Amino acid sequence: MSYTGWILLTASLVGISCGIIGVLLILRRMAMMADAISHTVLLGIVIAFMISESLQGTGMLIGAMLAGLLTTWIVQWFQSKGLQSDAAIGVVFTTLFSIGVILIATSVGNVHLDVNHALMGEISFVPWNLIDVPLVGEVPLAVVLLVTVTALVLMVILLFYKEWKITTFDPALAASFGIPVLVMHYLFMSMVSITTVAAFDAVGAIMVVAMLITPAASANLWTDRLWLMFVLSASFGMGSSILGYVIAIWLNTSISGSMAFATGLIFLFSYVFAPRYGRIAVLKKKRETI
Amino acid sequence: MYSKALKRFVSIMVMSFVLVGCNVAEKEGGEDQPIQVVATTSQIGDSISQIGGEFLEVTTLMGPGVDPHIYQPTQRDIQALQNADIVFYNGLHLEGRMDEVFEQIGKDRPVLALADAVSAQDLLNDPDEPAVTDPHIWFDIDIWMTALDHATKELEELLPNNKAELNVQKEAYFSQLEELKTESLKTMATIPDEQRVLVTAHDAFGYFGRMYNTEVLGLQGLSTEDEIGVSDIQEIVNLLVEREIPSVFVESSISERSIRAVIEGATQAGHSVTLGGELYSDAMGAKGTETGTYIGMYKHNIETISQALLKEGE
Amino acid sequence: MADILLSSNFQWVFVSAVMLGMAAGMMGTMSNLRKQGLMSDAISHAALPGVMIAFLMTGEKDLMFLIIGAGLSGLIAACLIQGIHQSTRIKEDAAMGIVLSVFFGGGIMLLTIANQVGQGKQSGLDGFIFGQAASMIRSDAMIMGVLAIIVMLVIVFRFKEWKVVLFDPNHAKMMGIPVKFYESFYTFLLVVTIVIGIQAVGVILMAALLIIPSVSARYWTHSLLIMFVLSAVFGGISGGLGTLISAFGEGLPTGPFIVVSSSVIFLVSLFLGSKNGLWIQRMKLSKYKSLKSSHDVKED
Repeated sequence: MSYTGWILLTASLVGISCGIIGVLLILRRMAMMADAISHTVLLGIVIAFMISESLQGTGMLIGAMLAGLLTTWIVQWFQSKGLQSDAAIGVVFTTLFSIGVILIATSVGNVHLDVNHALMGEISFVPWNLIDVPLVGEVPLAVVLLVTVTALVLMVILLFYKEWKITTFDPALAASFGIPVLVMHYLFMSMVSITTVAAFDAVGAIMVVAMLITPAASANLWTDRLWLMFVLSASFGMGSSILGYVIAIWLNTSISGSMAFATGLIFLFSYVFAPRYGRIAVLKKKRETI
Repeated sequence: MYSKALKRFVSIMVMSFVLVGCNVAEKEGGEDQPIQVVATTSQIGDSISQIGGEFLEVTTLMGPGVDPHIYQPTQRDIQALQNADIVFYNGLHLEGRMDEVFEQIGKDRPVLALADAVSAQDLLNDPDEPAVTDPHIWFDIDIWMTALDHATKELEELLPNNKAELNVQKEAYFSQLEELKTESLKTMATIPDEQRVLVTAHDAFGYFGRMYNTEVLGLQGLSTEDEIGVSDIQEIVNLLVEREIPSVFVESSISERSIRAVIEGATQAGHSVTLGGELYSDAMGAKGTETGTYIGMYKHNIETISQALLKEGE
Repeated sequence: MADILLSSNFQWVFVSAVMLGMAAGMMGTMSNLRKQGLMSDAISHAALPGVMIAFLMTGEKDLMFLIIGAGLSGLIAACLIQGIHQSTRIKEDAAMGIVLSVFFGGGIMLLTIANQVGQGKQSGLDGFIFGQAASMIRSDAMIMGVLAIIVMLVIVFRFKEWKVVLFDPNHAKMMGIPVKFYESFYTFLLVVTIVIGIQAVGVILMAALLIIPSVSARYWTHSLLIMFVLSAVFGGISGGLGTLISAFGEGLPTGPFIVVSSSVIFLVSLFLGSKNGLWIQRMKLSKYKSLKSSHDVKED
């Protein structure tokens, strides 16, 4: 496939996986989780470096995944103890990040170790980092990683669709049905962590945070039905990647920046025109009731 | 209604894939066309184009003032990389994750890390962390010439008919570098040994320090994400006061705030320190100006340092 | 050791950190009640396009202009967050996420453009407006002191109004309090605090100081007034303690140690807090259980 083809495929995979996870994330009021993880992975890569003494990718990725899981689990634990979600996220990410910085200063010394260099991918380079996949041929590593993650996300969401629906909208009811609410929360948070870290590694933090929150929030303005929200959010994610790519070529600028910006354009459109909760629809409804 | 929109959307997606797939860029390969060279940093780009002259068309990815930390590739950069006949980069993790890209591009064309030409004992390792090597090799002129020599050999293979001209231009450039080296050594030698201390915001001047027998103290480590502590500042302040060092320096790419804290602290302790000026570390000056070239950038640094450190400790 | 405590650099940092901790602790109590704890994180990212535009307009890396650019762009971001939240069904946190990522994406686009036209002056722009706690000087100490006093005065003089506006805006409207004015004033003050904070000490420390002390205070009291006081005290102690620890040896970064100090205060509050602390909760629960079981026995 051509360069552009791979870029659009990669961005679309990020759009789909993040779009789906994002819907549940904003409904559970944990939108800032992704941004928090983008900071706490520092702790993971510092510890991975201390153990492996190398700046190579795999160790860093594993370290980051573990740090992401740790972040989400601690946040979940604090929440189960009655802390507001924004407070829990704020306490955890600043603390873990600071511990990471202290470790760099005290035990790692003069290493050129920062999150941008060690972990954050750059979408324009994706088509050049190929691996051989049997039967398919040469495929970018990021695409393989993202296909795996997207499949995992789709599987877990579809498999427990009813459970997700009930635990998200009415945890008390879910508990009375005998659904293990807390286990579901932990499972969800683990998925958030795996998806975001894998996507960071492929395309960088800016795009991931944008793709997780903005398409899902836009979809939230179009409908009340959960399945439709999933579908719309994933499509908005894909749409922003195409729109963003066009803008990037037009202005000769950064692809990931443009794609993040394009999610904003789609949100703006939804904010005005969405048929259910868009500005025009809301004002019309108000006038009718008067 | 939604599904219809969705279908249309998917078909647009597929179409764009196909359309773009057909549009494979064809490379024109005329005989007299200059070969396309891509260099990552401005230091490499400038030096290589001095040597290659009219035989090369050099594209520098990290243009004037772009330090590798904040480099964001644009579409034109990507095209340049795709059309390049040869690519030069610094290596030693200066370009971070672009290493993987170079490996891939290197499959069908020459891609060269300049640092690879330098023998291991000439490279500076961090004493505490042997796994990590200082990538700022361009501050040592000898090492830089070795690296450029290596790069020229690679160019000769692409330009077998112009070997002689290339060598002439290389020799001419190298004699300029030799001159730069002699002058720099001479200028730096005028600074008394105990005052030859370079205090900057972060550690980019390791090779520079070794070459000119100058003590280099960075407030921050190699990484710009480092945080510093009160005692780190205090240590530098004490050192300035004790050894009566007249000046400290800022780098073009880093905020001068921490350096200002050092200056105020020393002033409070009764020793007046001035800001010696701005040095170029990772980034270079604007194209077309003097500091936009390797030699000009180097001269600027030497002049700034010697003028500031030579000031009498009034 | 005693030397460093007498040095002027240490004293500037110490005073600034304590003052900033107190100001942020008080502001944090308000933003915590409005579930806007992560506002500093959002605004620090949203500042990027403002910084870029200020640079592209002046062509210079003048700290003053860049900070003004950052402040304006942060203010616009804060208004958008409020606006999205109030006019749609989207929650605060999602609104913050949207504004953060879209603004930052736009900032990166501008940064790439600045890389092409910046004539070499643009290097380091993205981190230029973010400070380091250890490098604070006398002027920072004064700015932080003034900030803390202003925040305190604003709260003390209109305490009753703030209380109603924060807890029950509808009731406040009925009482004839100009809620819109108070809300805008709160947003303005929050953005000013954040911008002053991030340019002096960086994003992470600012986020931590706005969130952690106020969250900790909630484990000790239900009264808003005491919450303000406690939060300011916790913030001040964190700032002072962190600075002290980092003075004990080389290579101990100041900012992160302030964060960790405040986290320790938080953990102590979480477990031992006299209201809602985990220990108290357990005691109440076991008391309740034993009461209940003895009750059950009697019924048998």
